[in-house]
Amino acid sequence: MGSASSFRGSPRPRAAAWAPGVSRRRLLRCGTAGAASVLAAGPLTGCASPARAGEPSSLSVWDLFQGGDGLLMDEMIAAVSRGPDGFDVERTILDWGPSYYTKLAMSAAGGRASDVAVLHLSRLAGYAPGGLLDPFDLDLLAEFGVTERDFAPAVWQRTRHRGTVYAIPLDVHPFIVFYDRGAADRAGLLDAGGELAPMGSPEAFLDAGRALAGATGHAGVLFGHVTDTAQSWRQFAALYAQTGAAFTLPDGGPPQIDTDAAVEVVTFMQRLFDGRTNPNNLDYNGAMAAFMDGRGGMVMLGEWELPTLRASGIDLGAAPFPQVFGRPAVYTDSHSFVLPHQDDPDPARRREAHRYVARIVKESLTWAGAGHIPAYRPVLDRPEYRALAPQSSYAAAGEAAVLDPPNWFAGAGSNFQNRMCQPLQSALLGNTSAEKAVRQMIREADSLLRRPNPVA
Amino acid sequence: MTTTVPAGAAAPAPPEPSPPAPPRRRPARGAGNGGLFVLPFLTLFGLFLVWPVVQGLWMSLTDASLTLRETRFVGFANYAEAFGDPDVWSSLGNTFFFTAISSVPLVLIALAMALLVHSGLAGQWVWRLAYFAPYLLPVTVVTLIWTWLYQPDLGFGNQLLGALGMEPVGWLSDESVAMWSVAALTVWWTVGFNFLLYLAALQSLPATYDEAAALDGAGAWRRLWSVTLPQLRRTTALVAMLQVLASLKVFDQIYILTKGGPNGSTRPILEYVYDVGFTGYRLGYASAVSYVFFAIVIVVSVAQLRLFRQED
Repeated sequence: MGSASSFRGSPRPRAAAWAPGVSRRRLLRCGTAGAASVLAAGPLTGCASPARAGEPSSLSVWDLFQGGDGLLMDEMIAAVSRGPDGFDVERTILDWGPSYYTKLAMSAAGGRASDVAVLHLSRLAGYAPGGLLDPFDLDLLAEFGVTERDFAPAVWQRTRHRGTVYAIPLDVHPFIVFYDRGAADRAGLLDAGGELAPMGSPEAFLDAGRALAGATGHAGVLFGHVTDTAQSWRQFAALYAQTGAAFTLPDGGPPQIDTDAAVEVVTFMQRLFDGRTNPNNLDYNGAMAAFMDGRGGMVMLGEWELPTLRASGIDLGAAPFPQVFGRPAVYTDSHSFVLPHQDDPDPARRREAHRYVARIVKESLTWAGAGHIPAYRPVLDRPEYRALAPQSSYAAAGEAAVLDPPNWFAGAGSNFQNRMCQPLQSALLGNTSAEKAVRQMIREADSLLRRPNPVA
Repeated sequence: MTTTVPAGAAAPAPPEPSPPAPPRRRPARGAGNGGLFVLPFLTLFGLFLVWPVVQGLWMSLTDASLTLRETRFVGFANYAEAFGDPDVWSSLGNTFFFTAISSVPLVLIALAMALLVHSGLAGQWVWRLAYFAPYLLPVTVVTLIWTWLYQPDLGFGNQLLGALGMEPVGWLSDESVAMWSVAALTVWWTVGFNFLLYLAALQSLPATYDEAAALDGAGAWRRLWSVTLPQLRRTTALVAMLQVLASLKVFDQIYILTKGGPNGSTRPILEYVYDVGFTGYRLGYASAVSYVFFAIVIVVSVAQLRLFRQED
């Protein structure tokens, strides 16, 4: 919930400016949305005003980084707060997930949100069209040394809505594989450089799973998906994109999906997690625990688990998600900075917000410590980043990034991902066939598409 | 009791002298003061309960969303959509199923525990504490504990079954099992509250009936069936009523445990309202669905009230 630091701001001079502009609609919105969020998250979330006049450098920032990520973000904020042109940042950390996105939407709908917030790039389509975000001024960013050329095209193209840029990516955080170097070596899966050799085909991956199972004496590839609302979808989306087929969600439906390719992918997932070589009934924590216990040679996870896995003392290797179909593709998302909508933004503050975003993305070498791939490419080229192991071994994942199909209901922590995971779980557990699972995924996507679009 | 005085007719002069004026005024002044004392409560009640209820009813007739889009009046379109929405029906079905499979054990087990403790078991306070302690835990802690118990690979449940030579069960991943798992958690967690209500009722029962029955030669079972349980009827009505309402409102433990999965088999109606309204931004539609549910809860409550009144 809201951290104590959010109370450090100046008093709220905007309270007076409120009255003249109160329309019935705004009153309703602040009354209902605001009341709910005030009840849920303390007095400064819903309709709180950002610190303003008299303290032009105090920026309010919302993010969802807890644990190790949160500490690294503290470090980066401390770095940009030093010196004469340092920032005075009021940071509010909120719990990640659907609740974060609800609060962000409410604060922006109230029109007086924080100056800068973090948004998963996959959620942009649910925020930019509804007017919940304000666009970035690219000239202003260029003035502070950040331009389009500094980002991977696969990621940058998702920062735009109708040609306007609404988000500046901080990182790319792909779904990858971690492996036990010892087991992979015994299974003969490493190349001359000691890195995981490319797989190249579904059969090769199945063989690799069997070889790893032989090497560990337990399981080959671990994957925790039971009762998880994202994992199966991440895996499916990566493999499906590798077939070269597209999955799009046009408004009004029906979803565009290559059924044959989808069935092929789900069938492959069923073969891979057959319950013998690789267990098919693990949940997220179970898979983590099994890998850290040495009961599996490889585990499919987000790179953000790097600090946890490293703490276990395993000789840890990491690689982009193995390419087994036609072309390289890695399921990914990106923590990005956005400017939540403010009804009456102060130009000087907006300028500071741009300068802040530019400064922070340049600090993202620190951010790479948690395993994330910095989105700002000049950082990737620095020798310090290249020396980071195993982070640099999957940096290429950013170039083959595949995000959720853009639509208002899709993206990180969304109901869409949850609904896609349900049939996939049934298929992996052997309760349903690949064909039926794919049919249900299409049905679920279609029913979401048929709903009236609340952000259009 | 044979003579009746018609209302408004001049009453026969009371035998005592009519009460003096001051005592008549005193209650009036007291009522005025009472109003003042109640005012803060009434204000908060109106502001945070009555007003949102009215506001929600209005919202259910609009296409209100969490975004900046202009809100339009849509009449009963949301209600029409709700009645045709298969997810509304399936989640309502889940809610009623959960209510059925959780309420019955929550009443019966609580009664059994209270009778056991009341029967004079040694170490009373240990039993009371043990039965009531889980109720004190926050939902997140309870759910975390049970997530591990239900863990498919390392969890206590499947380890135990394995030790007994039985096949593992998909506690939370099997559509036909998941709701039972949720109910088991809920019974463990909340049965202590009903237990306390029953225990309090048992302790306030006059011992004389029981003693009289014992003197007449009634055995322990006979006294339980014919003396104790009938006297507990009012408590049972209260416990059952509170329990059904509480079970209908199920949300938190399911939301944390399964997010409504697998395949929506544990998604209660309140989670659907949450999904539609807060992650789907459609406040108008979510309000309509919650009003449909509100109406159902009122019908259930009235029906229950009548049922127990007849028994009385």
